[in-house]
Amino acid sequence: MTDTVVLDPYRNVPRARRQLWAHALRAEWIKFRSVRSTTWSTIALFVLGAGLTTLVCATSAAWLASGRADESVASFLTWGMMFAQVGAIVLGTLAVTSEYGTGTIRATLAATPRRGAVLAAKAVVLAGTLFGVGTVTAVAGYLGGNAFLDAEGIGVPVTHEGVLRALVGSGLYLAGLGLLAAGVGLLVRHTAAALSIVLALVFVVGNMVMLLPGAWGEWTTKLMPGNAGSGVAQVEPFNPLLLDPWTGFAVFSAEVAAVLVAGWLAFTRRDA
Amino acid sequence: MIVAHDLTKTFSGKAAVDRVDFTVEPGRVTGFLGPNGAGKSTTMRMVLGLDRPTSGSVTVNGHRYVDSPAPLREVGALLEARAVHPGRRARDHLRVLAASNGIRVSRVDEVLELVGLTAVAGQRVGRFSLGMGQRLGIAAALLGDPPVVVLDEPVNGLDPEGIRWVRHLARDLAREGRTVFVSSHLMSEMALTADHLLVIGRGRVLADCPMSQFVADHAASYVRVRSPRRADVADVLRAAGLDVIRHGDELRVCGLDTAGVGDLVGRNGLPLHELTLVSPSLEDAFMTLTSSSVEYAAHRQAAGVTP
Repeated sequence: MTDTVVLDPYRNVPRARRQLWAHALRAEWIKFRSVRSTTWSTIALFVLGAGLTTLVCATSAAWLASGRADESVASFLTWGMMFAQVGAIVLGTLAVTSEYGTGTIRATLAATPRRGAVLAAKAVVLAGTLFGVGTVTAVAGYLGGNAFLDAEGIGVPVTHEGVLRALVGSGLYLAGLGLLAAGVGLLVRHTAAALSIVLALVFVVGNMVMLLPGAWGEWTTKLMPGNAGSGVAQVEPFNPLLLDPWTGFAVFSAEVAAVLVAGWLAFTRRDA
Repeated sequence: MIVAHDLTKTFSGKAAVDRVDFTVEPGRVTGFLGPNGAGKSTTMRMVLGLDRPTSGSVTVNGHRYVDSPAPLREVGALLEARAVHPGRRARDHLRVLAASNGIRVSRVDEVLELVGLTAVAGQRVGRFSLGMGQRLGIAAALLGDPPVVVLDEPVNGLDPEGIRWVRHLARDLAREGRTVFVSSHLMSEMALTADHLLVIGRGRVLADCPMSQFVADHAASYVRVRSPRRADVADVLRAAGLDVIRHGDELRVCGLDTAGVGDLVGRNGLPLHELTLVSPSLEDAFMTLTSSSVEYAAHRQAAGVTP
C-alpha cells in the first residue's frame, strides 16, 4: 500500500495542457448543436420570422397600395420577427434549463468547474447564434415581403432610413431576448417555469401595462423589455409612443444585463 | 489523493455531512459505504465542487477541485447515472466533455471502446438502458486518464457481467497507482472490490480502516459449540489457548477450525451437541454498525441535545 506509483496528472494524456476558456466555448458550441431542440427551434424561428413577414406583405400589399391603409408600409418589413421572438426565447431558456432538467449540468461543471467560464461560453454561443440567425431571418423576410410590395409599386429600398438598422437590430434584439431567457433559466432552473415567465413578460405583461392610466402606464409600457427592445428591430414602430430605437435598445440591454448578473450570482453561488 | 478536513454540509439546518475527516490514498480502492441518505453523494459532490461545503474543506491533490488547471485530467467522476441529455448522442456527450478540457476526439473513441459502447456511440442516450448509461458515465470519468477516479454507486443497474467489469476496472485503476474512491450501499459489493473502507452513517464517519481489519473487527468467523457440559468444554478450550466467549447457551470459539475444536473436546471425553463454523456476513456487520449510528442520533435527540 505504501509502494504506490504517484501519477503525474499531465502524463500520457492526449494533448495535455491547461484548460482554456476557448475549450469551454468549443464545448458549449458542440453541446448547443448536438440536440434536436436547437435545430427545430432555429427552423421555427426562421419560418415564423421570414415566412410571416413575406405572408403579411403578400396579403396586405394591395391594401397598403390603395391609399386607404392607416399603417406605414415600412412597419410591415420585419412583421414576422414579432413571432420569431418565441424561437429566441425557447432557445435561450433551453440552453440553461435543459442542463438542469437532465442533470447534464453536473457533468458540465465537473468538467469545467469554473462556472463563470461556463456561463460566458454559453452566453457567447447563444447570443452569437441568435444574432446571426435573427439577422438572416430578418433579411430573408425583408427580401420576400418587399418583392410583393415592389410588385404593387410601394417597395421600400434597403437604403431607406431605418431598414438596415431594423435588419441588424432584429439580430440584436433576438440575441438579447435569448440572454434574458437564459438569465431567467439560471434563476428558476426549470424549463416550463422559465418559458412561462419570459413569454408572459414579453407578450402578456408588456401589452397589459398599456392599460394602466396616465404617465405611470405610459412609462411602464415604454420600459417593459419586449417594448423597449423591439423598437430597434422595426423600421417604423406600430406604436409611436415607444422609446426611440437605440434608446429603447439601451434600456433593454440594461434590463438583460441585470437579469444575467442575477443569474450569474445564483449560478456561481448555489449548489449545482 | 483526496483529503477532507472537518467537512460539513447542512441543508436547511440539518447536517447531511457532519464534520467529516478522511484521506483517500492512491494505489488502492477506497470503498465509501453507507446506507441511502448517509451523505455519500453529498460528500462526493463537494469533492467535485458541485456543492459548496457549509464549513471545512476538501482538496484533491492538494488544492480545491475548482482551482484545478486541467480538471478532467485530474479527477474523473461518475456522479449519477444518466445525467445526460436524452436527446444527445453518446459520442457527442463525450465530445462535449473532451472539448471542454482540450482532449482530442480520438480519446473519445478510445474510452467508448474501453467501456464497450462503440457500437451504440451514435445512438441518443435516451434509448440507453440504465447499465449503458452507467458505462457512458464511466467512459466520461476515464476521458482525461485521471489519477483520481470518483465513482458514485457505479454498479447500480449493471448486469452481473457489468458488475464484474466495474470491479476489475476499479482494481486495475488502483493497481496503476490511481486514487479510486467508490461509493456503494452494498457491503457485499465493497467486500469484493475495496482495499480500504470508509463507512459513513448519518453524515458521520463510523469506520475508516483496511477492509481486512473491518472483517476482523466486525465479521470474524468463529466455531459455535453446544454441550451439556458447557463449563468443562470452555475450560478445555481455554486451556488450549483459544478465545472462548459464552453467548447464551452456546460457546463461541475463535482461533481454530471445527475439526480442531472437535478433536480437542473429544480427547477430553466431553459430549458435544453442536459444532458449527459461523461466518457472520459483512452485510450484517455493516447493518449493525450503521443502525447503531441511527440509534445514537435518536438517543441524542431524546436527551435534548441538538445533533
